[in-house]
Amino acid sequence: MDTLVAFWNDLPVVVRILIGIVAIMAPLMVLVAYYTYAERRIIGAMQVRIGPNRVGFFGLRMAGLGQPIADAVKLMFKEIVLPTGANKLLFLIAPLISIGPALAAWAVFPFSPGLVLADINAGLLYILALTSMGVYGVIIAGWASNSKYAFLGALRSAAQIVSYEIAMGFALVGVLVAAGSLNLGQIVESQSGSALHWFWLPLLPLFMIYWISGVAETNRAPFDVAEGESEIVAGFHVEYSGMAFAVFFLAEYANMILISALTALMFFGGWLSPFQGVPVLDEATAWVPGFFWLLLKTFFFMFAFLWFRATFPRYRYDQIMRLGWKVFIPITIVWIVVVAGMKVGHVPWWFD
Amino acid sequence: MSDDAKITIEVDGQQLEATPGQMLIEITDAAGITVPRFCYHKKLTVAANCRMCLVEVEKAPKPLPACATPVTDGMKVHTRSPLAREAQKGTMEFLLINHPLDCPICDQGGECELQDVAVGYGSDVSRYHERKRVVRDEDIGPLIATEMTRCIHCTRCVRFGGEIAGLRELGATGRGEHMRIGVYVEHAVSSELSGNIIDLCPVGALTSRPFQYRARAWELSQRDSVALHDGVGANVHVHVRRNQILRVVPRENEAVNETWIADRERFSYQALQSEERIVQPLLRENGALREAAWEEALAGAAEALQAAGSGLGTLVSPNATLEEMFLSQRLSRGLGSSHIDHRLRQSDFRGDAEDAPMPWTGSRFAELSSNQATLLVGSWLRKDQPLLNHRLRQSVLAGGAVMAINPVDYDFNYPLVESVVTRPSEMVSALAGVAAALGADAAGVTVEPDATQRAMAQRLKSAGQGGILLGVAAHLHPDFSLLRRIAANIAEATGCNLGLLPPGANVAGAHLVGVLPHRYPGGRPVEQAGLDAMTILAGNCKTLLLFDVDPEFDVANPALMKQALAGADKVVAISSFDSPWLREHADIVLPLAAFGETSGTLVNLQGDWQSFCGVVEPKGEARPGWKILRVLGNLTGVSGFDFLSTEEVINEIRLEAAGMTPDNRLGTPVSTLKPELSESDELQRVGSVAIYDVDAMTRRSPALQATPDAWTPGARVHSSLAERLGLVAGDEVRLSQAGCSASLPLQLDDRVPDKCVWLPMGSPGSENLAAGFGPISLEKC
Amino acid sequence: MSLGGSIERVDMMKSMINYFRSLFLFELLRGLGLTGRYLFATKVTLNYPEEKAPVSPRFRGLHALRRYPNGEERCIACKLCEAVCPALAITIEAEPRDDGSRRTTRYDIDLFKCIFCGFCEESCPVDSIVETRVYEYHFENRGEQIMTKQKLLEIGDKYETQLAADRAAQAAVR
Repeated sequence: MDTLVAFWNDLPVVVRILIGIVAIMAPLMVLVAYYTYAERRIIGAMQVRIGPNRVGFFGLRMAGLGQPIADAVKLMFKEIVLPTGANKLLFLIAPLISIGPALAAWAVFPFSPGLVLADINAGLLYILALTSMGVYGVIIAGWASNSKYAFLGALRSAAQIVSYEIAMGFALVGVLVAAGSLNLGQIVESQSGSALHWFWLPLLPLFMIYWISGVAETNRAPFDVAEGESEIVAGFHVEYSGMAFAVFFLAEYANMILISALTALMFFGGWLSPFQGVPVLDEATAWVPGFFWLLLKTFFFMFAFLWFRATFPRYRYDQIMRLGWKVFIPITIVWIVVVAGMKVGHVPWWFD
Repeated sequence: MSDDAKITIEVDGQQLEATPGQMLIEITDAAGITVPRFCYHKKLTVAANCRMCLVEVEKAPKPLPACATPVTDGMKVHTRSPLAREAQKGTMEFLLINHPLDCPICDQGGECELQDVAVGYGSDVSRYHERKRVVRDEDIGPLIATEMTRCIHCTRCVRFGGEIAGLRELGATGRGEHMRIGVYVEHAVSSELSGNIIDLCPVGALTSRPFQYRARAWELSQRDSVALHDGVGANVHVHVRRNQILRVVPRENEAVNETWIADRERFSYQALQSEERIVQPLLRENGALREAAWEEALAGAAEALQAAGSGLGTLVSPNATLEEMFLSQRLSRGLGSSHIDHRLRQSDFRGDAEDAPMPWTGSRFAELSSNQATLLVGSWLRKDQPLLNHRLRQSVLAGGAVMAINPVDYDFNYPLVESVVTRPSEMVSALAGVAAALGADAAGVTVEPDATQRAMAQRLKSAGQGGILLGVAAHLHPDFSLLRRIAANIAEATGCNLGLLPPGANVAGAHLVGVLPHRYPGGRPVEQAGLDAMTILAGNCKTLLLFDVDPEFDVANPALMKQALAGADKVVAISSFDSPWLREHADIVLPLAAFGETSGTLVNLQGDWQSFCGVVEPKGEARPGWKILRVLGNLTGVSGFDFLSTEEVINEIRLEAAGMTPDNRLGTPVSTLKPELSESDELQRVGSVAIYDVDAMTRRSPALQATPDAWTPGARVHSSLAERLGLVAGDEVRLSQAGCSASLPLQLDDRVPDKCVWLPMGSPGSENLAAGFGPISLEKC
Repeated sequence: MSLGGSIERVDMMKSMINYFRSLFLFELLRGLGLTGRYLFATKVTLNYPEEKAPVSPRFRGLHALRRYPNGEERCIACKLCEAVCPALAITIEAEPRDDGSRRTTRYDIDLFKCIFCGFCEESCPVDSIVETRVYEYHFENRGEQIMTKQKLLEIGDKYETQLAADRAAQAAVR
């Protein structure tokens, strides 16, 4: 063990970072793949269907677990069609711009105490900056496709993301005020205590708004007007096929996972056990690693994404705008003041 | 009819004007009030035996048949009252008792009067449970399919036979349930108008055999056209499915064909799908014809025509449309040659200078029905122009007299009051006798009239309205000029109309647009007249352009044609049908759209311009004649060929032929003519044209060729002549004429005068012989 | 006046309730509850190739042309099916057969055009054109979707027992 640690410390920094990236990316990609599978199975179940249950491994069905692999292989072998008059360079760059930030955001994400690729103090700002980048991919894809539908989708997406970015930012300001730090690790640490000490309770409106804005940011149902298949076919990625499409797909799901994980981190105490400080239960669950609690919380929000999709019909475009500007932004502003007041007044037991 | 003779009746509360003596159904039909009927037909006598048209007449004790109830003043009629409806429903139920329920396999299904009326007036369920009767079928020939079980005894077909066709071939035997419609002795119905009973039959008892089971009424689209086998220009509906003509039925035109058409017009469409259709341009290469592209073929044709210049001889079918004729003469004259003719079967051109401007029947067709005396000269009107014969027959039924001077004792469906049957060589003197009896100029022929000729002259002279009609045989006669001259003199002396009835559908049109060596369009004379058809063929033109001509059968003298084809440098044929001689001699063959495939105009023998549209696409690569000629005109650099449609051509023709009306008046007589045929003891050939050999289409219609009217290959002679020569029917005989010979089976026919051989032009075997009229020798081979 | 005032107050109450309902996402949560319940409901999906749904005797599947028990084809070329077909999928050509009977020379159904409405079967006076229970078939080449007379008769021969039984079962209500 010691030799391993020594070996690790002897490795050049670049190699260590690369290994760290791989260690985050590889499981993330597998998670994305199986997230698509889970989506189809769960939504299927909610619609009293079965969902994909055929493709398995080694000739066994295994409840369709091979489906995401089969899908990936199919997409890899499909042709990438370049539309006539498309801007070739931008058309091909757009998916990369889309997936880059979705993956890069994970760099500052703490999985357990100290387990973080880049432990920077401005982590929250970094996250805000990167999640806002994703919209460029959508806009560029829509414009470069030289297609009416794609362009309309891109416009809708841009307006929507910009609108919800503000509400989202304000919600995070609330977190920032409550935690008194931009470092994600410290935000978690400041929520120490049982489930009741977490920020979801004092910041309940901000949590709701952050979560809903998160759904809107990722262009997921019921805010998926950017792809609205009944109106503009598939929106910004209507002209994409094969791997180019797959990359957009990947980005969307990576984003969903990121939003879920961030929600868990900022409002639900990250890796903290819900039973911290609770007499008997705390000891009983002491053996559970913090990473597990984080995973559990993240999975819940990931499930909620799918649950929403199965439940809610798509918003009308003007309703989305109204919700963002006339409901969320005022509430967040008011609640920031309330949080500040609580902070100043050292309201127990969060801020004492 | 003066106004005070009008009476007023009331039908279903509607006031209608009528003339006393009219039948009720005529009034309701004119007013558009529907009265169901089966046996009534406006062109046939009233039989009143179907009882379907029963209507309620106030003050009458029971319902009366509308077709047989004369109108009276103040009559009140109800066609839909409960009483009338009950009577109609009862009749319908009785009619359906014995009518089989085989509509799904019946060709009339979908256009059946019984179906329609049953839906409108019948009840929905039958109360009849007993067995239906079954009637044995009779084979009445290749044109009409029978299923007599379906017959409802309306007797329209029987009345048609007696009143229109003039042949009581079908008849009713038995009474009540045992009534049968049939032929007395099983044989094919031989009337040339027999196809009309298909249209008359309200049910599926008589249906078209060539069309049998091929299509349903609802699949067909109905387009209008004009038939092109004789100068009548009968109006027809063409029924088309998936770009194929499936049948032809009459289109009503009271002035031309009433509601009838001849079988020739009805069944010739079969030829359109013939194997012999040319569907691709052909070019001669290394001695054989090969398929070529249009561009190549047209370029070749244009080159040949241009090289020919004044050496071009053009023969145009008399069935070509007015547009085709006009463009062909413009092409020929534009290239510097006036050697163009449509009179392919005529052999006597000596009277060209005195030709009538635009030959016609001499009166409107309808007026023929009121002729009091008519003299037919060289005409088998019944088979040559069947619908004109129908008109003339009406005149006989009205008390008129028809007389004939013919080379064969042709059978007519009415009695001839006076008839002279002579050898062709004596026809001139026979007609001259009539002229002499009238004291008219007999064109230098001196003859003492006999009793028959005097009687003829007397009848013509005393007739208030009379006609002297020169038929097809007269036009093809070697002394046609003389016959025409004498006939014109007779007409003048008696005040009768001179009628010219040449073969071909558009002869009047050909005169109109100058498809003649000596006439320009509009009848203007050509200063330096070109060569006529016979002279063109006599080796005077080194390049031949044949427009829709079957070289074997469409000319007066096939022997001459054969030499001409062999001797020509270039033969360009624009033709719908292939033929062995074209295969052998033509250098370029351009496929021509046939009947129904091209738009155009035909001018009939009473001067009606009848335009029609193409109803189907031309078969294969064939193209409408006017388009082919237009392109040839453009390629040869002749001006005046920039037409985009037949309408544009017709407008041009209207300008060029302005003021031309049918006119039979002959010009200044040419100097004295001598009869061409000398009276000798030699056998003479009688070679008019048989009814189903008139043109390429009728010759290639299998149904028509299977009828009794089709000429069975063979030569017919009088039995006494056969006896003298020691021959019996069926003997193979060798016929020789001007160095060519053919062997054909001998048939005995006592209608043929002694020392004559009846062998029409266009009949099988005739292509190996020479002129249609003239000396011929016959020996057993 | 007072009545009007009370109505106004009721309206205000209603809009207040509505406001709070939407503010607290009440209806959305109910919706989530519904889908949440269905997540655990018994699934109705059939595992198709292994399990199959029952097929009615009136099922309208692949077409067939039937024959009489003596082997004579039933079709008499009446063309009623061609006339009734709303998709113009049927093309028939007919002419007299050698024995003089009315028969088709061509009977094509274009299965790409066919909408399986069953009108052809209903219009047939001799129960010739029928729709079988067969719904599992495919084409691999262009042109195979045209069911020719030959193919249709073969299908009819193959399933005749079933077809006759189905028609017998439905005879009373047809």
